[in-house]
Amino acid sequence: MRVSVYAAATEGRWKLWISVFPAVDWLWWSGREECGWNSNKSDGLVMLSSGMPLGWGVKLREKMEYSYAMQKWTAADWRACIIDILKREIRAEETARGQRMEEWAWELFDVRDMGDGRAGWSERDAGGSSDEEELRIDTPCFMQELSRNADRLAALLSGRSLLQPEVEALLEEQAEGTGISWRAAAQLAHLQGRLKLEAAVGHESASGGGGDVSGTGSIRWKAVRAALRLPPLLWRGAVRRRADARCLRCGSAATGRTPCAACGLLCCAYCEACLALGRSRSCALLIRSAASPAVRCTAAGTSPTAAARRWGLSAAQAGAAGAALGFLAARGRRAAGRGPERFLLWAVTGAGKTEITFPLLDAVLAAGGRALVAMPRRDVVLELAPRMARAFPAETLAVLYGGSPDRWIPGRITIATTHQLMRFHQAFDLVIIDELDAFPYHNDPMLAFAAGQACKPDGAFIFLSATPPRQLQRQASFGRLPHAKVPVRFHGHPLPVPQHLTMNPVHLCIKKGRLPRAFIEALRGSLAREAQVFLFVSRIAHIEPIRGVLRRTYPEISIEGTSSEDPFRAGKVTAFREREIRILITTTILERGVTVPRSDVYILDADSSLFDEASLVQMAGRAGRSQEDPAGTVLFLSPRWTSSQRKAIAQIRTMNAIARRQGYLKGRK
Amino acid sequence: MNPLNDWINGIRSLLAPAMICCLICSKNGRPSAGLPGICTGCEAGIPWIRQPRCQKCGRHTGCPDCNRSGQSAPILYNRSAVAYTPVMRELLGRYKYRGHERLAPLLGLMLDRAYIQLKAYIDHPQNFTQVQSRQLPEHHFLRKKRANPASLWHADLLVPVPVSDSRLMERGFNQAERLADVLSRVRRIPQLPLLVRTHHTGKQSFKSRAERIADMKYAFAANSDNSVKAQFNSWLSQVKAPGRPLQILIIDDIYTTGSTIRACAEAVQLMCASHRRDAEIYSLTWARS
Repeated sequence: MRVSVYAAATEGRWKLWISVFPAVDWLWWSGREECGWNSNKSDGLVMLSSGMPLGWGVKLREKMEYSYAMQKWTAADWRACIIDILKREIRAEETARGQRMEEWAWELFDVRDMGDGRAGWSERDAGGSSDEEELRIDTPCFMQELSRNADRLAALLSGRSLLQPEVEALLEEQAEGTGISWRAAAQLAHLQGRLKLEAAVGHESASGGGGDVSGTGSIRWKAVRAALRLPPLLWRGAVRRRADARCLRCGSAATGRTPCAACGLLCCAYCEACLALGRSRSCALLIRSAASPAVRCTAAGTSPTAAARRWGLSAAQAGAAGAALGFLAARGRRAAGRGPERFLLWAVTGAGKTEITFPLLDAVLAAGGRALVAMPRRDVVLELAPRMARAFPAETLAVLYGGSPDRWIPGRITIATTHQLMRFHQAFDLVIIDELDAFPYHNDPMLAFAAGQACKPDGAFIFLSATPPRQLQRQASFGRLPHAKVPVRFHGHPLPVPQHLTMNPVHLCIKKGRLPRAFIEALRGSLAREAQVFLFVSRIAHIEPIRGVLRRTYPEISIEGTSSEDPFRAGKVTAFREREIRILITTTILERGVTVPRSDVYILDADSSLFDEASLVQMAGRAGRSQEDPAGTVLFLSPRWTSSQRKAIAQIRTMNAIARRQGYLKGRK
Repeated sequence: MNPLNDWINGIRSLLAPAMICCLICSKNGRPSAGLPGICTGCEAGIPWIRQPRCQKCGRHTGCPDCNRSGQSAPILYNRSAVAYTPVMRELLGRYKYRGHERLAPLLGLMLDRAYIQLKAYIDHPQNFTQVQSRQLPEHHFLRKKRANPASLWHADLLVPVPVSDSRLMERGFNQAERLADVLSRVRRIPQLPLLVRTHHTGKQSFKSRAERIADMKYAFAANSDNSVKAQFNSWLSQVKAPGRPLQILIIDDIYTTGSTIRACAEAVQLMCASHRRDAEIYSLTWARS
């Protein structure tokens, strides 16, 4: 879109503003005494452009250096200054068009001194206002109404980071029939300092904030790393790199450049990474609310034992919850200002992570804050939502995923897939990220950026994981990352430790058409004890041949295979849970989030490079999850040992040892 | 982690075949030879309309519409590149609604295949009465050598179907115009935005057949922009069409009932008539539902 850009002076200090509804600005700077309006008249007003591409306007606003001399500037001075700031953009346009600037940009920089006259404001290149509104805009009654509307808009958009179409959709749903003209209201709220008007693709530095998993290393290491990075930076041109356009929503470099009808430029940048949430481009208006400080959780009234009783936590869960509560309460006393603080909750598979978060959410809500639980996938969100609603019946709950009906509901608890976090900006006091190491959050800087943006700068992050990434494990063990471990499952029995069985690679078995006897024997044992069998393979292509071989061995048993490419996956998982299917052959797609009572786990080709330590631990974690059958069999079948297998077994053993030492294990001594 | 591993991976990547991130499936795969930016697997999965069942509207399945009306339609022939399968619908959605404009060159080149087909049909309609051979994507420089280009059919002008102003502001681009741009570059045919949409008809995808047809009447008019008029006039004076009507090709992303295309064709026909020129109107769309 195109916006008006003008400079206004108060007490000799100049400042640039962009406007989507200039009539409101005129009224604001005319110094009328009205509730919610500015009472100081401006000393000078210079309209720099009445139809500038938003991206350029925002850049001007950010880069302009103000001086008292501006009072005496002529139109030519202003123009020269503008052209100097925008020279990169102008040069890019000139190259694309093959024309000098004078031929296409003359109307962009028609600088006019407004003084007191109203005449110049009535031009409405940027506007979408009707004539009717313009006629009655300076009546006190209208000004009061607009001020009320601005209040409502600021409240509705609090903590949000929305593109213009999203704002329109939100208002249509949440403020239907009130006839808020969002442009005028947004402009007033912007002048009041409550909303920020940004270009969705800009030049802001893309630091991930607290969602960044890497965290802060020591200063010396940082210097070394920076020095190592310097030569390639110089090769590529450090200046150019720094000035790359970035998407404010997802932090990716905006790589696409296309002609745009909305702003009239030939090189309007757009972000290709977050297209699924509406196109973010350099002339798209991104409306954000100004940040508010995070609430402080008090330690009082949230004692771990009380919490344990209220939420029915086991001793191990209560211990971890207590540590996290202590972290939340102590946060206020530590020095603020380095971004959100992080806490790792390392809970083994089947420990009941969700229950542990309840007391934490409760503490933040009791202090009047907003909390977010980010999950990796939509089906997990849908599974958690009813449990959360039961746990907090009095709170408004917003459940967000692609296409969810609650999109614009302001909830005090928000459960969302990580992609949805891009629609928030410094909104939450507590952000809980579940399955930190899982797809899609893992290895996606865009989602880490979005999570960092969603949390208030002085808020807190809690990461939940059964298999935290190496880096976090190391930070935790060196004491740089506050953390708590839940080393035991909710039923108080140790994790089943995987056994290793030497076996030929799967592709050889398939070629021969038969499976080794040891494997068949083990499988027979599992079936004899009425267990459900998870059979993990490394490749989708192996599923069907293995199924064929097993079919011949066990013709009487129902065996199914499923993978990410299977449209009937959900149905097969349900059938497996209900024991209609006895053996399910699958890939890492089912390594998490599936709980099947009385199950045994077989991992074929466990030495495959596709199974890392985390996957092996997660797959092993499918066994023995129920109270009735806490001990399952886990078998790693592979021709050789690998470090992943060893480390996975070591990790499981360590957790069991910690549990034993802390006395969380039932029965066995 | 391990510097040795980094080195080995680096060397391996030097030796490995070039992989690209496919625009359709967004996985890494071997690049296809014919179309830029997609992998061989996705290229094989494109539902090309190689043998239209209806030679008039280019539909790949039986076409009751063309037989139903029986009246003289304003377009002579339509050809579409692909059948509108769910995968193609998703692709078009990403391009048009999500605004993934990097797809435009790909879709434009796909449209070019429809152009080749239209040309082949008009030049040698007798070939199409039998089963048609599968040698369509043939290099055009060979073709040029073989025959006298003047006698063969080619389009004189491309006219993209316009979108309404409010939609243009919202989307930032006209999807049909971008496709026409690609075709215009590849085939060296001029394109002009001759038409404008006189009223905003709303999204066609939410309407029934009868509604669409009723809606489309008088939805398009001649572009009153002076520079376009001047360009059109200069094109009319320059165009080499000895002793035959002008051959104008309307470009759109999708042909569903054909009401949009027909309405455009009528408007273009009127424009040509006002300049006392005969015109044959054809249309080319990326998808055919």
